[in-house]
Amino acid sequence: MDFALNDDQQLFVENIRELMRRENWEAYFAECDAKHEYPERWVKALCELGFDLIMLPEEHGGLNLGLVTLTAVYEELGRWGAPTYVLYQLPCFDTILREGTPAQIEKILAYVGTGQQIWNSACTEPGAGSDVGSLTTTYTRRDGKIYLNGHKTFITSSAHVPYLVIMTRDSDNPDCFTEWLVDMSLPGIKIEPLDKLGLRMDSCSDVYLDNVELDESDMFGTEGAGFKRGVKDFDFERFLVAACDYGWALCAFEDAARYANVRVQFGKPIGRFQLNQLKFAEMAVRINAMKNMVYEAAWSYDRGEMTSAQAAMCKYYCPTAAAEVVDRAMQVMGGVSVAGDHRIQRFYRDLRVERISGGTDEMMILTLAKGILRQYAA
Amino acid sequence: MKIIACFKVSPESQDIQTRPDRTLSLDRAVWKIGAYDLNAIEAARQLGDQMAATVTGLSAGGPDLASPKLTKDALSRGLDELSLVTDPALPAADTYQTAEILARAIAQTEDAQVVFVGAGSADGYNQQVGNILGGLLGWSTLNAVHAVTPAGDHLVVERLLEDAVEIVEVTLPAVLSLTSSANTPRIAGMKDILAAGKRPVTTLDVGAPVAAGAELISELAPEQVDRRHVVIPGPAAEAAATLATYLNTL
Repeated sequence: MDFALNDDQQLFVENIRELMRRENWEAYFAECDAKHEYPERWVKALCELGFDLIMLPEEHGGLNLGLVTLTAVYEELGRWGAPTYVLYQLPCFDTILREGTPAQIEKILAYVGTGQQIWNSACTEPGAGSDVGSLTTTYTRRDGKIYLNGHKTFITSSAHVPYLVIMTRDSDNPDCFTEWLVDMSLPGIKIEPLDKLGLRMDSCSDVYLDNVELDESDMFGTEGAGFKRGVKDFDFERFLVAACDYGWALCAFEDAARYANVRVQFGKPIGRFQLNQLKFAEMAVRINAMKNMVYEAAWSYDRGEMTSAQAAMCKYYCPTAAAEVVDRAMQVMGGVSVAGDHRIQRFYRDLRVERISGGTDEMMILTLAKGILRQYAA
Repeated sequence: MKIIACFKVSPESQDIQTRPDRTLSLDRAVWKIGAYDLNAIEAARQLGDQMAATVTGLSAGGPDLASPKLTKDALSRGLDELSLVTDPALPAADTYQTAEILARAIAQTEDAQVVFVGAGSADGYNQQVGNILGGLLGWSTLNAVHAVTPAGDHLVVERLLEDAVEIVEVTLPAVLSLTSSANTPRIAGMKDILAAGKRPVTTLDVGAPVAAGAELISELAPEQVDRRHVVIPGPAAEAAATLATYLNTL
């Protein structure tokens, strides 16, 4: 097994490190987090180095460097405490290239390199969370136009993206689920931002749709195939959640390790006390397990072999394991980490949300167990 | 026309460890392009763009210098091409030996008109190579260079002196040693890194280094001294005066 990054990957990571070292981004992140603002200046700086080209195919001006490369970049960014969760739309151009019409592709790819928020999908409703099939937002055809009506909730990024892909069912045929690429400036769309425990640098809102008028050309993918599209992209999104979580755990672990080596109590560094050593052993085990799980999944993806069970395993394990690392790091750092505004407080809040957003722990267990057991079915 | 950026690859300073006998261990050190040398590469790129010149990197060092990662790292910072001189004796070369080798390499480079050198190397930081090199080549030679602007057949150079900025018109060819704040070196983007692998790297044969001009007797980390725990209380002005007196007695 070769775990080494190649020369190019090492240089990508070193230059990302240089970007992160050049200014006190942490102050910017803390400010954005407090104000619930998207850290656009940081995302733009990353895009200037080519971050949003990593997963983009070469025929669209991308570099097609693969998910192991992206993982290495996420790892380095996470290590600096960066809010990698806001980046999810930039490695996900596969969705638009696979499902979009040429006009839709052009609209979305026009944002490459800008660092601006582009789009997200809207599925969840007050009565349809993990049970997506019970959604009630409808599309209705009338006089050659399409009209959307309904209420979506907890929609990530929706306050600031120019486009949302909205999941609906046909008002005349409720078994037919179809998505629409909706221009968020259209009349009839009302957005009400929600407060949130964590992941605050990305908005989360209620979205009300009242007779939003669309054309047939706004259909995203094919009619009736809404669910099938979603499931494929869920796996990738779940992987990204895990990659973020691993990075923050690494950051908290390193903060705690540096602290434990210099903080002296009772005449010696606190890292020499066995109760703290137990914490470092437990943290290191989790860091290592997350690292190997995430990199192996990325390697599988690059070979076209990542399974839904594998993505679900990452999404199930990493938020909890990372939270356990952050919790122990907090215990090691004591007052320094809970008073004031230490960055690991943010990870603590963000990681709690990670167990719910992008698919709950419970749904991950189902997908993971089903996939594993299927391998042994007669 | 060619503009040359000289750089030295040296151990990353944060990786250098001090042994109990105060000798330095480089066992864990990663070898990197010197931080000040990145200013030379950036200045060469900027002037190269203004003067439509080819920007060539030049480095002299041990055989490891030719590693693909190091050459890509250098080329991704804005160089069009790279020339290397490698010799097992070069990592231990003194400033005169280094400058003399660079002078021979530059003499082999056709139409080289400007040579940029960083403020000092990341390891020795002797700040001598640029001036010795200029002397050996017999070219216009300036240090403390803070800004460079092309002006027809010559350059206008700003030198940052202790209490003044000196503006000098410099005829070509010239060797210019920069200040560390002359520019902000670019961070290489992913496209730059991939493109770097396709740019030409030439290994020059310039012969063996001349004999050393200085003899290195020993190289030791400064001796650790216990803190004296001297506290000077009182109003700031008074305490400052007492502190100054105390420091003078050391």
